[in-house]
Amino acid sequence: MVEIVFLIPLLTGVMAFFLPQTTGRFLLVITGVVHLLVSLYLWIRRPVALFDVYFAVTPEGLLSLLVISLLFFLISIYTSKWLEHTEIRSERVFTGSMLLFLSTMTMVTISEHIMVMWIAIEATTLASAPLIYTHRSAATLEATWKYVLICSVGIALALLGSVLITLSMDIGGVDVPVAFSALTEKAGSLDPLWLKTGFVFILVGYGTKMGLAPMHTWLPDAHSEAPSPASALLSGVLLNCAYLGIFKTNKIMHAAGLGDFSSTILIVLGLISILVAATFILKQTEYKRLLAYSSIENMGIIAFGTGIGGLGAYGALLCLIHHSLIKSSLFLSSGNILLGYGSRLIAETGKLAGKMPKTFVAFFGGFAGVSGFPPFGIFIGELFIIIAAFRSGHTIAVGIFILSLCVIFAGFARHVMQISFSDIRSTIRMEEKSVMVWPQYVLLLTSLVLCIWIPDSLYQTIVHAVNSIGGGL
Amino acid sequence: MIQLVDTILALVLLSVLISFGSSRLTMLIRVLAFQGVVVSLVPLFIGHDLTAGSIVFTLVTLLIRGIAIPLFIYLAIKKVAIRREVEPIVGYHASLLAGLALIVAATFVSPKFNLPQTGGDALLLPTAITLLVAGMFLLMARRNAIAMVLGYIMMENGIYLVGTSFSVRAHHIVEFGILLDVLAGVMIMAIILQNINQAFDDVDTALLRTLKE
Repeated sequence: MVEIVFLIPLLTGVMAFFLPQTTGRFLLVITGVVHLLVSLYLWIRRPVALFDVYFAVTPEGLLSLLVISLLFFLISIYTSKWLEHTEIRSERVFTGSMLLFLSTMTMVTISEHIMVMWIAIEATTLASAPLIYTHRSAATLEATWKYVLICSVGIALALLGSVLITLSMDIGGVDVPVAFSALTEKAGSLDPLWLKTGFVFILVGYGTKMGLAPMHTWLPDAHSEAPSPASALLSGVLLNCAYLGIFKTNKIMHAAGLGDFSSTILIVLGLISILVAATFILKQTEYKRLLAYSSIENMGIIAFGTGIGGLGAYGALLCLIHHSLIKSSLFLSSGNILLGYGSRLIAETGKLAGKMPKTFVAFFGGFAGVSGFPPFGIFIGELFIIIAAFRSGHTIAVGIFILSLCVIFAGFARHVMQISFSDIRSTIRMEEKSVMVWPQYVLLLTSLVLCIWIPDSLYQTIVHAVNSIGGGL
Repeated sequence: MIQLVDTILALVLLSVLISFGSSRLTMLIRVLAFQGVVVSLVPLFIGHDLTAGSIVFTLVTLLIRGIAIPLFIYLAIKKVAIRREVEPIVGYHASLLAGLALIVAATFVSPKFNLPQTGGDALLLPTAITLLVAGMFLLMARRNAIAMVLGYIMMENGIYLVGTSFSVRAHHIVEFGILLDVLAGVMIMAIILQNINQAFDDVDTALLRTLKE
């Protein structure tokens, strides 16, 4: 019964809309615990799904599932405390949407049918829209509008792409269920022209959701206007879910011998995203938008690495996992900063190191991790990608890649230094609560540990997933 | 029978032109409802096996695409629909010309795709392409938020036409899921529309310009 893993949060999510507010907070944490346990069970046992045409446990899905589960568990603990300090007009809608959001994202990770994948990814947009609109201001309204419209249009293109892939089955005379694994097996007999067209549409569609430039315009708005726990989920896990859709389609492309075609597009889109992030990160005035652009950068890195293949694909998956862990911790810390200073502007923050030392450690650690400092996994991931790119002879591309990373690091560092050490007179409105800091510590620590020591089953799963898109050590 | 499908599809093509040239939103919604009815009925006429399941599914699609979705948008905008016009990014006459060019182009390129199963319905593929691109055009060329949502629905109609006409593979349960997703999406858009109208007293997206970069 694999399906239970998304049915549980679906059920509790619906319940949260009707139960009293305080029960909702409790429900959030309980669901987080249960979800984590079920995910661990799936990881160890890897059972077969009840509706095996639609759902299946795959290595790449399991990786995402485990990350989602761990992140949600920690974020739910943070949120239960955060809700006490924040005024939200309708807390029930917030907790309910959080749980439904979890449910839909879980569904993405275990979906096996191309159309079910589409349904699940579209459902994540719908479940997360109320989260972005939590604060009910004109700016959040604008962010929600952009998010829903741009993502819906993008995902509609992905639907067209999925339909075109079924068309390539018809023309190729392939008679199997429209499932990723079945299609990967029979990829050779699919009609290449329509498969390619389908892939391009799916890449543009899910790429919109993943935040790849030039379809990224909704992302900085949505991530900065959403309340911090929701931003952490949006940035930490939702982007991975969209990537999963691209990853699985890319698998079919590789099996069909069209890997070069898909790789080229991925490399180009990845580089554009990194360049866009490098351009815009320099002149940001809000720290949450800064983090959002950093997400665009990292999604670019992941797409680039996937396109490079080989060691690069392995590096991309490492970046994917570590980016989730670190970026969600950063967004949670930014929630503390927002509660403390009462402003999202970098100019109105300062002396974080002295005023909120615990948050400072988490924030600065996260910054070091996300910009690729050695003890964290993103460093290793980026290193692998660069090595693989040199090996495969993409010299110009990797040159742009490295240069942009340097620019992004410089821009990011300048802003973080200002937040951490510059002089400011304002007083802090909230005392630091340890419950609102240690989830970040756990996330960063997990990233650190995974960098030094990867459990064998995790390593095998990553290698297994990467093999199918022409990657490996 | 074949002529019947082509005749209706020709009307759909004309309705695209109406939607491009009309400045009244209620007209646009009526056009969308008509298109919704047609695209959900077309699969019945193009020779797939008629089973009880597919008839029920067609009826549900008809209810959702032809009635429920236009109704939601209509209810959401009832108060604002008759308000003053917002100057579109691309004017109505230019839009009409673009629409004509689009239909000609779609008809011209369609035979080159070499798709199976088109049978005698010469207008199926051109209509699908026209709806898709016309939807995107409305999304880009109109500043009015309602017109943008309607553009999105038109695009979805086009995709649905491609999906049901050229591929018999999708299971009904999956198609139903897609339908529900679209319905929920439109409902959420309608709610946002109402909120935009309340917050800004208008649905001009030019007002939504505070978030940049």
